[in-house]
Parts: sequence; C-alpha cells; structure tokens
Amino acid sequence: MQALVEMIDVVKKFPGVTALRDISFQVLPGEVHVLLGENGAGKSTLMKILSGVYAPTSGRILLEGKSYARLTPADAKKHGISVIYQELSVIDALSIAENLFVGHLPMKRYGAFQVVDRRQMEERAAELLQKVGLKRSPQTPVEALSISEKQQVEIAKALASDSRVLIMDEPTTSLTQEEVKHLFRVIRALKAEGKGIVFISHKLEELLEIGDRVTVLKDGGYVGTRNIKDVTADDLVTMMVGREVKKNYQNETPLDRKRAEVLFEVQHITRADNKVRDVSFQLRRGEILGFAGLVGSGRSELMNSIFGAEPRTGGRVFFKGKEIHTKNPYRAIQSGLGMVTENRRKTGFFGNFSIKENISILPFVKNSSLGGVGGLLDLKFEKACAERQKQDLHIKCASVEQNITELSGGNQQKVILSKWCAANSEILIFDEPTKGIDVGSKGEIYALIRRLSNEGKGVLVVSSELPELLAVCDTIAVFREGEIVKTFPIEEASEEKIIAVSTADTAKAQ
Amino acid sequence: MERKKTEKMSFQAIWQKYGTFGILILLLAILAIANPENFFMPSTVTQILAQSSVNILIAMGEFFAILIAGIDLSVGSVVALTGMVTAKLMTYGLPVALCMILGLLLGAFLGLLNGLLVNGTGLHPFIITLGTQAIFRGITLIISNSSAVFGFPASFTAMLSKNFGIVPVVALIAIVTALILSFLTKKTKLGRNIYALGGNREAAWYSGINIKLHTAIVFVISGLCAGLAGIVLLGRVGSAEPAAATGFETYAIAAAIIGGTSFFGGKGKIFGVVMGGLIIGVINFGMNILALSSTLQQVVMGALIIGSVALDRFVAEKR
Repeated sequence: MQALVEMIDVVKKFPGVTALRDISFQVLPGEVHVLLGENGAGKSTLMKILSGVYAPTSGRILLEGKSYARLTPADAKKHGISVIYQELSVIDALSIAENLFVGHLPMKRYGAFQVVDRRQMEERAAELLQKVGLKRSPQTPVEALSISEKQQVEIAKALASDSRVLIMDEPTTSLTQEEVKHLFRVIRALKAEGKGIVFISHKLEELLEIGDRVTVLKDGGYVGTRNIKDVTADDLVTMMVGREVKKNYQNETPLDRKRAEVLFEVQHITRADNKVRDVSFQLRRGEILGFAGLVGSGRSELMNSIFGAEPRTGGRVFFKGKEIHTKNPYRAIQSGLGMVTENRRKTGFFGNFSIKENISILPFVKNSSLGGVGGLLDLKFEKACAERQKQDLHIKCASVEQNITELSGGNQQKVILSKWCAANSEILIFDEPTKGIDVGSKGEIYALIRRLSNEGKGVLVVSSELPELLAVCDTIAVFREGEIVKTFPIEEASEEKIIAVSTADTAKAQ
Repeated sequence: MERKKTEKMSFQAIWQKYGTFGILILLLAILAIANPENFFMPSTVTQILAQSSVNILIAMGEFFAILIAGIDLSVGSVVALTGMVTAKLMTYGLPVALCMILGLLLGAFLGLLNGLLVNGTGLHPFIITLGTQAIFRGITLIISNSSAVFGFPASFTAMLSKNFGIVPVVALIAIVTALILSFLTKKTKLGRNIYALGGNREAAWYSGINIKLHTAIVFVISGLCAGLAGIVLLGRVGSAEPAAATGFETYAIAAAIIGGTSFFGGKGKIFGVVMGGLIIGVINFGMNILALSSTLQQVVMGALIIGSVALDRFVAEKR
C-alpha cells in the first residue's frame, strides 16, 4: 500500500536551536497516526513542514510518489493536506456553506457576470454536513454554533477541498466527553473512506482508543513508531520522557524548607470564567513551588489572579500572615509581589525604553506617591541601580543605555527579572521563565531563581517543561482543569507521575 | 566594518535630535532667497512666533494624547468653547484673572470628560474625541447663539498682544508651558509612566501603572493646553467666534508628528513638537509673504506636511 505522506530524515534548524533531528514519519490510507510528545518536542514544527508553513533544513517529503525538498502551502493543498488547528479558523460572520467553500465558491453565469451559485453551494454543503454528522442547515451563521460544531464545520471544510490527509492538532481539548465520542465516530467514517488522519493529543486514553499507530518525539528527536495495540499507556509515558541527564539546581538541603515559616498563602482563589476553582496553597520562606499541568489547565490564570492583573471572584491572599488585597498589580507590587510574565514582548518589556529605563520603572512606581503618579525621577539612582543589576545578573550588554530590543531573549529576560529585584519583591511569580530562550541562558535563569530562594524569597514557577520544574523546584503542584489535583515534594516527583496525574481522564480520576 | 556601523548610528542619532531643526532652517533659507525684502524685517520673528504660539500650545497637549497611542480630535472645539465661555464671563463683568482661571478649568474639565469616556467605554480615543469634537462645537454654537462675542476689557487684549522687544507675550506663554511640560516628560514619574503606557500598555499594567488614571491625566493635559490656547487666541483676535479654531486639530497633529512623535505611541519629545509647530508657522508665514491665495495655501500646507514627515523618515532610514 502506497503511503499518502512519507517524510524521510527531516531536519529543521532555527538560529541557535535544532528543532527536529532526522525525523521520519508516514501516513497510510485509512490510518489514524498519533503524534505524541511533550510541549516543545517538535510535533507542531513537523506538521508545519508538512503543511508548507516551514521549509525543512534537509530531508525529503514524498507525496503521491513525487519527491519534494520543501513544500509550499499551495503544494500541500494540491496534494490534499489539511490542518485543523486548535484555535479554529472558521469565519464567524459567514454561513456554514460559505465557510466550506470560501476561496473556491461554486460559480454560475448570470448574463455577462459570474455569480455565486448559492443553490449548488448549499446542496453540496448539505452533503458534507451529513458526512460529518452535523445536523444544521447550511445557511446557519457559524457564530451560532458551539465549539464542537465549529470543529465539524472545519472537518467538512477539509473534505470540501478533497483533502486526503487531515492533521488534527489537539482536537479534543475543548470538547465534552459526548462530543469526543461523536468526533471519534466521524474519524472512523473518514478512515473507512481511506483518508489518513494525523492525530495530535496529550490524552493517552483517547489516543489508545482512536489511534492505529503512534510516533513519539522527544526534544526534536525521533523516539520510535509503534502499533497502538502493542503498547500500554505506561510504555508511551516512558517513551515520551526517556532517560534524562539533567543538571540539578535544587538546594543541597531541601528539608530546611519544611521548617521555614509560611511566607505566603492563598486560600480559595476562584474565577468567574471557571478557569481557576477554589485553589489554596502555602509557600514557605525560600521555597520554590512549581506548577505542572497541561497548557490551558488554568495555571497562568491563577497567577494573574493572585497578582491582580486579572479579576477573581473569590479567595484571599496572605503575606507573612497578614491579608493583602491584590486587586490590581499596583497593590500587589506594594505588598511585595512580582511577576515575570509568559510573553516578554507583549507583557514583559517596554520596547521604547533602554535597559536602564526598563529596570527603573518598577522601583519608581513602587516608591511613588499618589497611587503611582507622584514623584520625581531620581536619575542618579536609576543609573546606579541599572549598573548594579547588570553586574548582579550578568546582563550582557554594551551599556545600560542600549535599547532593550537589541538584546537576546535570555538577556531580555534577565532585565525583566532584574526590575523585580530592583523593587525588592519578596514573592516572585515566574510564568514560563525560559520560553523561547536558548539552552545556555536557561541554566543561568535557573541559577538565578535558585539564588532568589536562597536569599529567603518565595518563588512560584509555572512551566510546561517538566525537566525544568524538576530541576529547580522544591515542591511541585499538579494542575488540572483549574484545580490542584496533587502536590509532590521533589523527592517523590518524577516526570512519569506528573504526566500520569496531569493527563488522567477526569472521570477516571474521580 | 565596525567603524562604519558606529558612524551610521551616530548620523541617525544626530538626525533624530536635530533633523526637524534642520528642516526649519531649510525652510527659512528658502524664504530668505525667495523674498528677501519681506523676509529680512524685524517683524518677521515676531510674526512667526505669534502665529505659531497657539498651534504649539495645542500641539503640546495633542502630543500627550498621541504618546499613549491615542489621539485627541476635540482640541479645536475645546479652544473655541473655552474661548467663548471666557469671553462671555468677561462681558458679564467678572475680573479678568478669574475669567482666565475658569477658562483653564473648563479646558481641563473637557479633557477629563474625554478621558472618562475613553476609560468608561473602552473605545479608541479617535471615536470618543470625534464625538466630543462635534458636541463641544455644538455647545459653543448654542451658548453664543451662533454669533461672535466681543467687547471685553482692554487690559485683557492689551496684555496678550504685547511684545517684549521682538518676542510676543503669547510666545513667552508657549515657552513657559513648553518648559513645564518638558520637565514633566523628563523628570517626573508621571511623565515616565506615560511613555511606558504608550510603549506597551500591557507591560505597563503588569508593572503597576494605573492605566485609566494615566489616560485621564493625559486628556486633562490635552484639554488644559487647548484651554490655554483658547484664551490666548481670544486675547489676540479680540473676539470669540463660534467657528474659531475649526480644523486646528489637524495642525496640532501635524506639528506633533513632524516633531518626531510616533503614532504608535511611546516616542517623542516636547522640543520636537515645538520645532514642528514652528515649521508649520514658517510655512504659513512664507505663504503670506509670497502672496499665495488662501485657497492655494491649504493645498500647499497639506503637501508640505506630508513632504516634511516623509523627508524626515526617508533620510533617517536611507543612511
């Protein structure tokens, strides 16, 4: 049987990082091929190469017997490859039928003009909707549909352009169990027609149910391909995690932390959007508490609510035993909190400011009068403060007068961290502290986080990279669907255990 | 190689600092050559300064609105309304000083209204001030019964039409305002926070900057500047016209942009805005001494605004 897609020895290098090393991947007609790996393992990079978004550095792609060194989006489309992204790309303002045929609307002649043949479009749409089991009129505006219905429209859209390979990127994340069952019925029907499906998911139970074969990636490398019926969930976890040689940044005497005073505590944090539900935890002086869990499990939302950057409906926050009211970041900062956000460019630094100005903004705001407005700038303090932070955190720059956008990602992150140090924040929240940072700088950031804890500060770390949490944290809380489901002291934590807890099916866990 | 790079950087730095100044000198030189007998007159400086002052005052307020990546389209109407109210109060016989203070307070209040509307609705300042531009103008027409108001104390008009040597009083007012605002932008936390807000709104929020408070303050500054301009204009013209200052927001925006203020927010200097205002003043003056018809002046002004900003960007990027 000829494969629909065959990728051979694909390599993808980005400046400074090798994202994929010699990956081979194949999709047969009528098969559901699961692509598995932790965040950052290279799954989406591989799929972006297949859909023509990225050009591979080397390797070949065979489609219907034709060999390509790289694909353009047009090539991918011509050979019937469609991607159904997590954030659906349907157009809300259009009807279902219009969405299905957008870009290739059926036309007819009307006098001297070519006009849209609405009747033909709606008839063909109705056929496709039947195929994906969506019981809606083709004229329904897409904005009236639920997320799972939109996903069905998305699948129908792929079929409308005669796709033979459908790539589904975590299609079940926002679906209920009933909707997942329905999706699986549709997938089985597509299989029966000889379509090939690439299914990306973290949920092991699900992929064991729907998959035929599984390919596991780890850190951009190929681990192996197995038949689903020959493997268990445990085998897959072992394949995903593999053996790790990792440097340890933990304190030599982690037990000290258990006797230290409770520095910070939150009780019953709850949000109106249900992304955080009744979360409570304690943080001791010098402790580094990590938050593990899937992307979208509510960890960032919890941190934003604690810091006052996003609203919460309930819950209390205590610092050194006294309740603090963190209703906005200004109040949180006044109370001694600091937060290094996930997205440097968007919420971290000021692109119009020099390094110096990026650092001094926080001590200036923190020590101002009239709610952050009053006071003069002490420019001598600004300069001295920036120079001290530059030395202290080893920020590599020609001068603190340089614009921050001229620095590398790792050094930008150090500048952001140093603004909180300059403001003497005692509780530091890190949301994905090494996202998009090269390996060398990562180690430096870990060492800095550890140093903060040795200075007696309390640290919270949200990370989707488990090795990172295991390397720096004293305690790891596992988050799932807005709740802390389990807390591991570092001595008892392992990647296997954390993945098992964070991916467990809700029904099964209860 | 390395050397070349630093030279390039320094040229850009020099251009950024003095580029608008260069354009101003260039324009003056062109005028001096084109019409030497009318240009080399002692009154030239006085005329340019007097004509530019109102626009510079408005533009310095507009500068703050643009600095937070917003805009204030209502400034022309604020000028007219504060001028009208100040004039009315004076015709009722209130002391001149009190009338001027009330006029300034009204300007600040109108700005606050803009700020509160922006904060309350979350709409872009463009939309809010487009609306208040019409509202404020409408109120001006209502309270004036659509006719001009004049006949106020001679002390008021005399004070604002006076010259110290070749420097008119209104230019001194603009200079003092510029110094205060320049201090605000360079030496105060408020000023720094406004730049931060304009550079990255979300990062400003995460750094503890109260976005709504600062937005409101920015519009109050813009209203205050426009209010001051309204009073100054009133003193120089000698009457309050309901249609006064129509379209002045265009010149204020132009002065800020010519002066190097970034439309994307977070970048710009008061000194640049003053230069931008002077450039527009020189263009206006030049067209008068070259005896261009007022209809043609509009076309030339528009073309020169585009031309000077384009030249600035072109030179900055080309080298």
